Amino acid sequence: MSDAVTTAPAGYAPHIQKRSATLSMDTVAAWVLTLPAILAYLLMVLLPLLGVLALAFTDYEFGARSFRWVGLDNFADMPKDRTFMASIRNTVVYCFFVVPLSIGLALLLAILIEAGARGRAFFRAVFFLPVVSLTVAMATAWQYLLHPSIGPVNAVLRALGLGAPNWLGSSDWVMVSLGIIGVWENVGFNLVLFLAGLTAIPRDLYAAAEVDGAKSAWSRFTLVTWPLLGPTLLFVMIITMTRSVRVFDTVQTLTQGGPNSASEVLLRTIYQEGFHYFKFGYSAAITLVFLAIVLAIMLVQTRLIDSKVHYG
Amino acid sequence: MRADKQTLFKDMPRLAVLGCAAILMLVPYVWMIAVSVKPPDEVFRASLTLLPERWALVENYGKVLRTIPVATFVMNGLIVCMGILFFQMLFAIPAAYALAKLQFRGRELLFGFVMLGLLIPYQTTALPLYLGFHQAGLLNSYTALIAPFTCSVFAIFLFRQFFKALPDDLIAAARIDGMGEFSIVWRVVLPNALPAATAFAIFSVVAHWNDLFWPLIVIQKGDLYTPAMGILAFRAVESGDDYGALMAAATLVAAPLVIAFLFAQRRFIEGVTMTGLKG
Amino acid sequence: MAGVSVTAITKAFGATEVLKGVSLDVRKGEFVSLVGPSGCGKTTLMRIIAGLETASSGTVMIEGRDVTAIRAADRDVAMVFQNYALYPHLTVAQNLAVPLVMRRLSAFQRVPFVGRFVGDARAKLATIAEDVARTSGMLGIGHLMERKPAQLSGGQRQRVALGRAIVRQPRVFLMDEPLSNLDAALRVQTRAEIVALHRRVGAATVYVTHDQSEAMTMSDRVAVMMSGEILQVASPEEIYLNPTDIRVAAFIGSPRINTFPAEADESGSVAIDGIEIGLVSSMHGPVTFAVRPEDIKPAADGIPARVTHMEFLGDCALLHAETIANKSPVICRIAPDLRPRALVGEEIRFRPDPAKSFLFDADGKRLRPLRLNAQAAYV
Repeated sequence: MSDAVTTAPAGYAPHIQKRSATLSMDTVAAWVLTLPAILAYLLMVLLPLLGVLALAFTDYEFGARSFRWVGLDNFADMPKDRTFMASIRNTVVYCFFVVPLSIGLALLLAILIEAGARGRAFFRAVFFLPVVSLTVAMATAWQYLLHPSIGPVNAVLRALGLGAPNWLGSSDWVMVSLGIIGVWENVGFNLVLFLAGLTAIPRDLYAAAEVDGAKSAWSRFTLVTWPLLGPTLLFVMIITMTRSVRVFDTVQTLTQGGPNSASEVLLRTIYQEGFHYFKFGYSAAITLVFLAIVLAIMLVQTRLIDSKVHYG
Repeated sequence: MRADKQTLFKDMPRLAVLGCAAILMLVPYVWMIAVSVKPPDEVFRASLTLLPERWALVENYGKVLRTIPVATFVMNGLIVCMGILFFQMLFAIPAAYALAKLQFRGRELLFGFVMLGLLIPYQTTALPLYLGFHQAGLLNSYTALIAPFTCSVFAIFLFRQFFKALPDDLIAAARIDGMGEFSIVWRVVLPNALPAATAFAIFSVVAHWNDLFWPLIVIQKGDLYTPAMGILAFRAVESGDDYGALMAAATLVAAPLVIAFLFAQRRFIEGVTMTGLKG
Repeated sequence: MAGVSVTAITKAFGATEVLKGVSLDVRKGEFVSLVGPSGCGKTTLMRIIAGLETASSGTVMIEGRDVTAIRAADRDVAMVFQNYALYPHLTVAQNLAVPLVMRRLSAFQRVPFVGRFVGDARAKLATIAEDVARTSGMLGIGHLMERKPAQLSGGQRQRVALGRAIVRQPRVFLMDEPLSNLDAALRVQTRAEIVALHRRVGAATVYVTHDQSEAMTMSDRVAVMMSGEILQVASPEEIYLNPTDIRVAAFIGSPRINTFPAEADESGSVAIDGIEIGLVSSMHGPVTFAVRPEDIKPAADGIPARVTHMEFLGDCALLHAETIANKSPVICRIAPDLRPRALVGEEIRFRPDPAKSFLFDADGKRLRPLRLNAQAAYV
């Protein structure tokens, strides 16, 4: 990270032109100021992280007297673990469902809101509501909505003559249901970010595009909107993907991973293995897999796309 | 984009589409509230009417309030969120200032750790933290709920961005006036970064009010339940047949933050966008 | 033939009237500046000509065709924006090509990667490349073609903006304060280049600026706008030497014209602070007298004033004073060696040249005819 030299008034030049990093006033002050954060970081982030790294290679169970180092055994066990494999599969499915849908819908709605002057604050507030609503509570509301026999969704479907699936109770439909709830939860968040990105696009560019002959909404979108939303889009993608991988509340509330592991997801498996079966070692190994996935998402996206979307 | 405001007529298609989407968005809320005032027999009728024939508001909400101490849970939520926010700001702001404005050896290294922290979701560290709190006998306490979140690398990152944009001359003037670094942080820098502070505060409160994973792990005692856990507890007690009461519980517990949002919409949304786009 | 012609344009934003009945003709090949202070409506008028705004009433004609109801993309105008509005994700070459691509290629041909294989796309792209090369050569930016706008200096970006406007050989060329973001030296140099460019392109050019010296040095005609109205449209010489409105006289010319409250007695003879100037007006009563700094000089029998400030400019000096009677400010341009500096605070007298002075009535309109009388001697 390049460090531009901060301009300093004449009287403070000596602090900046340090020849050797002796304990100047700045340094002492800096360390004092950062000390609480450093301590908290060490205790709550760094050491536990190392702890997880260590645990993953043991067979430690909570409450046990001793444990052994088992090398990569935990990782070798994973492919044989039906629940774990279901968990990975379901989390991926969930991500592939929620991410494109919530981003696409949010972008479309944001463009619609931005296209006119009426009702902006109102629509923005309505779509953002799920973000500030307690996830567990709203999941409960969805449970009623999606109830196979008494829920309004199926009542409407029956009235239209379409089938009335067992949304949360059948292994065919459960991930779809959770996905729908996930899209509902995420659209508002993404929408607000897109709105900010859209308003940041200079109006002049649209005027220039018009003068240059861009007549249709589509050509304005491809010439100005889409390219200039690049950084926002990248950010939204990363955020939505990491949020989706971390899905937990809805699953824990509504299905507890059922029926029959059809809705097991990564974080829930980590929770189950660690705090129900107390297999800390195994849970830690799964945690590392989880972390690897999150890191991969961030790194891949940033590497691949970042250079293309930042125009200097 | 034409600057003129379109006539209402031309605006109709856009408003219609947005209106439909808005209705779909609000469906869970509408039904949640509608069912929360219906008696069980009407709920089981599976009709599409929203208004109840017989109002069961007192019944349902009364049941919830009798079964679970909603006020206690909301209180816990407040204590935990405010506690977390307090420590996050207390630790992050001076650190962000040091990283932004002071020159010292090790600055790059520290910032590197901050960036590293941003990549790591907090759930990763749950297991060892649990062990640690267990050893310290601190499970089932506010400390366990608050402590892990006190170092918010996101806060450090965000505030650092903001502080960097403050003119160096401001700090120099403060030093000339005789202020020590500590005073500079709290009396000069922070007041000038209030938008960032408000934005982060909202972001943090929303995130932690909603959190289920960690409270579920460290809390077993009923009187320390956070709002999210409170709902789960009610569901467990209820075994899910009395939907009226269930919806009443959901409404009660979701209400505080939603009402706060409706009063201060702009702040909430600014909070998300500012933290989002700065990052 | 008229290149651009606007007639009786009004524009209101809500309750505010921004344009109050503006008419202007710009011939093909003519360079007309729209000059006025901020908020006078000049940018709004330009955007109406471009088609980016619709007028509340009035018509816009481009080369004889009524385009009032036609959108900007179909009007065949080109515009240079104040902040250049270059597409940040495209290279210079791509930026220059956009107007041509939008107009010459069909929607299918514009699809990335595969569009170039549709129909005669290849041939069209070749001509587009030629036109882009020709334009970049004209502007001296051929060596910047692969760079993105963020990698260019302000002056370079401005040339790209100009290039994008002329690459299409438009009928009307609109420029919205294109020099305001450049530093002073670059501004002066670019002025001449823009005029040269205009002559090569040969289109009707409307140039918006708040800088009256830009307007005066670059234009065939200057249109002075204030508060939503065009006060006067004429050549720079005519505007300077023969303003029809006191606001025009005050806005054009640096340093600012001197204005004094004056009185025309029953015979029409005009006097300032009791001193007769030598002008006879057809009107009687209070009038406003105006004279440029170069047409007023110290004289023993003139209007009494006190010197407040002296500025040495190299080729001349500016003497600032205040009349004793009304404290009206006076600026007088004198030769640099006529007066030493130590005049500040002293009393002095001034006499204007009546032949070069202007009289304005209470509404600010120019009073004519005027006669000179015996007191008109100006030595």
